[in-house]
Amino acid sequence: MSFRTFILGLSASFGAAWLAIVVVPFITMRNLEPIQLSEANDGSTGIFFPKRTGRIADGAKVYAENGCYLCHTQVVRPTYAGNDLYRADWGGLKADPDRGDTRRETNAYDFYGEKFAQVGVSRMGPDLSNLGRRVESEYASPLEASQWLLSHLYNPRLEADRWKSTCPPHRFLFEKRKIKGNPSDEAMPFGAELGEELVPCAEANALVSYLLSLKKDQVVPAVLNFAPPKAKGAR
Amino acid sequence: MSSAIQNSSDQDALLRAGIDRSLRHPVMFFMTSGAAWLAVSIVLGIIASAKVHSPSFMSGCAWLDYGRVFPSHINALIYGWGFQAAFAVIIWLMARLSRKECTSAGIILTAGHIWNLGVSLGLVGILSGNGTGMPWMEFPSFVWPVFLVAYTAIVIGSFIQFRVRPEGHVYISQWYLLAAMVWFPWVFVTANTLLHCIPGHPLMAAGINAWYRSALIFLFFTPVALAAAYYLAPKVTGRPVFSYSLAKLGFWSLAIIAPWAGMQKLMGVPIPFFLPYVGAAATVLFFVPAVCAAINILRTTLSSPEVVASSPSLRFMITGIAGLVLLGLAAVWLNLPGSTLPLTQFSLSGYGFEILAIYGFFSFVMFGAVYFIVPRVTGREWLSRRLIKIHFLFSVYGIITVAAVALFGGLQQGIGQEEWQQPWQGAATRAYPYAVATTIAWCFILFSNVFFFIHLALMWLRLGRRSLHPTLLVSDAHHGPGPHGEEGDIDNAGLGHAAAH
Repeated sequence: MSFRTFILGLSASFGAAWLAIVVVPFITMRNLEPIQLSEANDGSTGIFFPKRTGRIADGAKVYAENGCYLCHTQVVRPTYAGNDLYRADWGGLKADPDRGDTRRETNAYDFYGEKFAQVGVSRMGPDLSNLGRRVESEYASPLEASQWLLSHLYNPRLEADRWKSTCPPHRFLFEKRKIKGNPSDEAMPFGAELGEELVPCAEANALVSYLLSLKKDQVVPAVLNFAPPKAKGAR
Repeated sequence: MSSAIQNSSDQDALLRAGIDRSLRHPVMFFMTSGAAWLAVSIVLGIIASAKVHSPSFMSGCAWLDYGRVFPSHINALIYGWGFQAAFAVIIWLMARLSRKECTSAGIILTAGHIWNLGVSLGLVGILSGNGTGMPWMEFPSFVWPVFLVAYTAIVIGSFIQFRVRPEGHVYISQWYLLAAMVWFPWVFVTANTLLHCIPGHPLMAAGINAWYRSALIFLFFTPVALAAAYYLAPKVTGRPVFSYSLAKLGFWSLAIIAPWAGMQKLMGVPIPFFLPYVGAAATVLFFVPAVCAAINILRTTLSSPEVVASSPSLRFMITGIAGLVLLGLAAVWLNLPGSTLPLTQFSLSGYGFEILAIYGFFSFVMFGAVYFIVPRVTGREWLSRRLIKIHFLFSVYGIITVAAVALFGGLQQGIGQEEWQQPWQGAATRAYPYAVATTIAWCFILFSNVFFFIHLALMWLRLGRRSLHPTLLVSDAHHGPGPHGEEGDIDNAGLGHAAAH
C-alpha cells in the first residue's frame, strides 16, 4: 500500500463519519425552521416562539464556570431512553393547578438564548430542566423563589430534610460586609454578625435568575407534542 | 561474511545511539513534565473526588470549588500528561522506525514549553472561574490555537522523517502513529471551530463536544498506545508480531468504527435521532479493534514468559493491554441502548470509563514505553527495581478500583436514578460508597506516581545507574552478588556499542 493510498484510506474512513455525524447535522440544526402554528391543531396561528425570561446569557456563564453541569443535567429524556418523564416534577408538574399534567420531554427549542446546551455529565444531583417551576410551586412561593435558591446556593444542607445533599456550598458567590447607612434589600436573613450583612454578588443574582428561567414545560405546538392523547376527563 | 554483519550491526547501533542522543532532551522534557502534570492532576482528582462524598471538604475557597477543581483535574490529565506522554512516544518511535535523527530538537523543545504554558494558563483560567463549561474543553478559548500551533511544531518533524525515510518496511506502529497524527488535528480543529467560532444550535454543540471526547480517546490516545505496544512487544521479546493480517484488521476496523462513536452520551436529547444510536453502535463495536490488537500483542509476548516476568516495560505494557480488553468489554457493557445505556448515561460510569481508557489502558502502555525509552536516551539504567514495583502495584490497585466503580457503581447508581417511584435521594445513596472508593483509588495512584516522577526526574539528571545490565524485575539471586551484575559496572562500552541495546 502506498503512502497516498494509506492517507486516502484514513481520510475516507474518518471523513465519512465526520461529514455524516458532525458537519451535516451541525448545519441542519443551525438552520432549524421556525414552526408554523395551525389553527386546527394549536388553536392559534403564527410562529411558535419559545418563551424564556431572565438573565440567561449571564447566568449560563456562571453555571458553566462553576461546573454545575458536572452533577446536574438539563434534559428530560423520552420514555425510550429513561424514566425521567415519570418523576412527578422533572418534566413539568404532574398536577399543575392551572394546566393539569404539564410534563413533557425536552425539545430543541428549550435552550433558546444559550450558546452551549448544558446537557450535563452525570446526575449526582437531580435534573434541572424545570428547576424554576419546581422551586416556585413546591419549595417556596413565587415571590420567595429567588431567596430560596440563594440560601440553597449558600448552604445546600440548610433545610433539615436535605442534610444528605452532596452539593458543594457556594459561599464565594456572597459577600459579607459592614452595613453603611441603610441595610441592603438583598441581604440574606442569616450568616452575618451584628452590624454586618451577607449579600449575594452579581454572579449569584445572575445564576439565580438563570435557574428560575428553567421552566421547560411550555405548551408546545402539536408537531412537537409527543404525549399520547389523554382520554376524556382523565388527568 | 560474519565481519560484514558485525560491521552493519555496529553501524546500526551507532545510528540508533545518534537518534537517541538527538532526542534526549525533547523526550525527557515531555516525559518529565508529563509526569509532573500527572501528579498535579491526581492531587486535584483527590480533592475533587473527596468533595463528591464530603462536600464541605476545602469548601471555603472559590478556587477549590468542586465545579472548578474537577475540570482542572481532567484537563491536566489529558493535556498535561496524556498529550505530553504521547508526544514523547511519537517523536522517539517515529525517529527510530524511520531511522532518521531528529534535526529539530530546539523547535520541539520550544513548542513543548509553549504547550506547557498553555496548560498552566488554562488551569489558572479554570480555577479562577473562567472555564468554558464544555467538558474536556474547559480551558479558556484562547488556549486552543496555542495548542494547535505547538502540536504542529512538535509532530511535523516526525511526519517529515517518515516521508524521507530510507525505503523499506512500514511498521505497524507507524500506521498507528500516522493515523493519530492525522486524526487529532482534524478532530481538534473541527470541535474547537464549531464550538468557539461558528455559532450553531446549542444542542448540536453539546453533541459535538461528546464526539470530541470520544474521538480523543479512540482516535488519539488509542492509536498512540497501540503504536507503542506494537513496538515494545516484538522488540523486547525478540519475536515477530504474531499476525500481520490480524494487525491490519485491527487497524482498519478502528479507522472505520471509531470516528462514529461518542454521541450515545446524548441518547434522548433532541438532536437528529440516528446520532446517539450510531454512537452507541460504534462504541460497542470498538470491542473488535480492541480485541484484534490485544490478541495480536499478547500472542506476541506470551510466547516468552520469562521476558514478560522480568521486563518492567513489558509488564506495564501487558497490563495496559489487559486494560484495553477491559475497556472494550466496558464499551459493550455500558452502552446498550434500551438496557444499560439509560442507566449509565448520567452516572459515575462515564468518568470511570474515561479513566479506564486514559489511565488503565493508555497510561500503562506509556509507562511501559517510558521504562524502555529512558535508559536509551539517557544512557543510564533505572535506579531501583523496588521503585518500579511500587509504581506498578499501586497503579494496578488503583485502576482496578476505578474499573469496578465504572462497571458496577455506575449501573447501581443508574438503577437508583431510574426508580422513579422512589425519592431522588436513593440514587445518591447508592452512588455514595463508589464515590468513596474512587477517592481511595486516586490516593493509591498518587502514591505510585510520586515515586514514578522522582525516579524519572533523577534519570533526566543522569543520575541513573551506569551499567550495561538493565534493571529487571526478577532478582537473579542464585548467580553473582546482585541482579545487575557487579556493582559499578560502568558503561565503558559507550552508548554506541551494540551490546548496549
